[in-house]
Amino acid sequence: MDLLQFARGPALTWAFAIFVFGMSWRLLGILLLKRRPDYSEPRHATSWPGAIKLIITRSWPRREFRPRTVFGLSVGYIFHFGLVIVVFGFAPHIMFFRSLTGLDWPNLPNAVIYISGAITIAALIIVLGRRLTNPVMRLLSNFDDYFSWFVTITPVVTGMLAVAHLGARYETLLAVHILSIALLLVWFPFGKLMHSALIFISRGTTGALFERKGASI
Amino acid sequence: MSGLENIGVKIINPLTPQTDGVSGNADAILHELVALLETYIDSGENSAIDLHSLPLTPTDYELLRATLAEGEVHANINAVGNTEVRETLYPGVWWLTYYNVEGDIVADLLEVIDVPEILKAPAEDIRDGLVRLRDLLTQME
Amino acid sequence: MNEPDTLGASLTRTGISRRSFLKFCTAMASLMALPPSAAYAMADALQRTQRQSVIWLSFQECTGCVESLTRSFDPTLEQMIFEMISLDYQHTLQAASGTAAESAREQAMKASYGKYLLIVDGSIPTKDGGVYSTVAGISNYDMLVETAKGAAAIVSVGTCSSYGGIPHANPNPTGAVAVTDIIKDKPVMNVPGCPPIPSVIAGVLAYFVTYGKLPELDHLNRPKVFFADTIHDRCYRRPFYDQGKFAKTFDDEGARNGWCLYELGCKGPTTYNACATIKWNGGVSFPIESGHGCLGCSEPNFWDKGSFYQPLPTPLADNAPVIAAATLGGIAVGTVAAVVSRKHQADIGTKEGK
Repeated sequence: MDLLQFARGPALTWAFAIFVFGMSWRLLGILLLKRRPDYSEPRHATSWPGAIKLIITRSWPRREFRPRTVFGLSVGYIFHFGLVIVVFGFAPHIMFFRSLTGLDWPNLPNAVIYISGAITIAALIIVLGRRLTNPVMRLLSNFDDYFSWFVTITPVVTGMLAVAHLGARYETLLAVHILSIALLLVWFPFGKLMHSALIFISRGTTGALFERKGASI
Repeated sequence: MSGLENIGVKIINPLTPQTDGVSGNADAILHELVALLETYIDSGENSAIDLHSLPLTPTDYELLRATLAEGEVHANINAVGNTEVRETLYPGVWWLTYYNVEGDIVADLLEVIDVPEILKAPAEDIRDGLVRLRDLLTQME
Repeated sequence: MNEPDTLGASLTRTGISRRSFLKFCTAMASLMALPPSAAYAMADALQRTQRQSVIWLSFQECTGCVESLTRSFDPTLEQMIFEMISLDYQHTLQAASGTAAESAREQAMKASYGKYLLIVDGSIPTKDGGVYSTVAGISNYDMLVETAKGAAAIVSVGTCSSYGGIPHANPNPTGAVAVTDIIKDKPVMNVPGCPPIPSVIAGVLAYFVTYGKLPELDHLNRPKVFFADTIHDRCYRRPFYDQGKFAKTFDDEGARNGWCLYELGCKGPTTYNACATIKWNGGVSFPIESGHGCLGCSEPNFWDKGSFYQPLPTPLADNAPVIAAATLGGIAVGTVAAVVSRKHQADIGTKEGK
């Protein structure tokens, strides 16, 4: 068995298994927690509009903090959108999802993918630089932050190298790319990357609570 | 990295042609021919250029054909398929195209030499021929 | 047995003119990307030298490799390789049979011990003492080991002798292995392919006969001059890959437009061979040009790398049951975790209550 066979075979199988296991474990573990009973009179009968409202409003910088947060926030948005374009727009990736889910959608031109990939890598390097240079962020950061950053950028870099056939033979580059995705999948449910699911749950919960209490959102 | 020069490089896919369809390699070949002719005149050393070892566009080929044009000698050698030997407008520069029996090109060369080797009758073949001719005459007598 | 036989004498005998031979050398030099002057040197040297003694052993194989060489589209030129060598033993081609055939091999070994070239096609079964393939009662394994001892070099022609090939495919019932798995102390060149391109076989043999050594080899012992690039690197459909234009089925608009076959499982990007440049049937076309993806037949274990129609970046295994099982496991563990947490929450609640 060569490296590519290992990556496409057992490595991916184990990564998928650990990913779905971890995701369902963590999500259920959180969703099934006991809610604290609230004995006060609710201000609004339904609380879900507040949940949606907060998810939206918290995705945009508040005017008071805007000068301080706009840079970090926009770089963050840039690499998140870049990742979405690369992950879901590149023809071989769509093929990968189709083989798993049976779903199919049209791909974006490769030029768009390459540019998005390059911008994503640049933005990810900038956010790491900010994390390392800003004293407060540095103090707040732990291994999880750095490792989550690493497993995010590695698939993008290895994918770009594989597409460009740079640095090694294509089969090796493709194998390394798939292995880096396997690593991402394994780490995903257990590190801060879990924010991709939990961010909506936590914001929604807060929003619903605010709505009930009648707090401004 | 010794031995690197022993690794053959063979480029067959044509270059993406520029707007005028010329890659610049035809021009390079013509300049190389000048250098090879100079060497031949100075030292008598003959040489050849394998046209399959360079990426050439169809326009490059046309440019070479038009520039080198047809000289005085045009020979066909009938040995396992045709081999076309053409002198160009520039004496000493020969264009040799080797075809197989099916008529596909198996080699395409420019040679700088007074007479291409393949035109000359090899000494051994001459000796063999003599033997055969003698035998024939003996039989006839 | 033959008198020491120069190639020149052999050419005269068979009525092949020296011009024809020079032409063959020119074609081979051009194919191998040797400098044009090499053709004259080749022709000159070969005429004087003795014909290279070659012993060709066929083991677990289908004769496709021999067919590829002997029935090549342009037999006159490529078969001239047979004028350059003295093929002293080859099951399929030799006239002798039975004891006479085997004694031809023994005599050839004795006559040019340490100098003959050994060509092998087919893999070697090793299970159960190698009983699954024998010639004249001798197992392939024993015959290879014995014949390899006196060989100057070994050429493994075809994927079977190079990597084990189809007999080696899972579950490999005969324990088939490649020549390099058995012979460790001789230079071995692999010329993989199922079958290899005839001009590639002829070219590397001509190189050995001319220079008395094997050409430069890569990490899998393949001649670099033919196996340095992938099919994908040299594919005329490559621009469509770069533009992201793919055929999705074999009869859609993309297929008709000649777009890239990557999504239809083409193994071109991971296959090192010269099909895209030298092509097949005298340069007529190659699989991709005929509208079918590359199978990767010249790569190790090509038979066990998933379906020929499965795209390269997709998972090899059917992961649905594993994913389903892992999800259920996650749900179970998550529920247990929640129950424990709720109990913990309740304990805290009662403590607070007190």
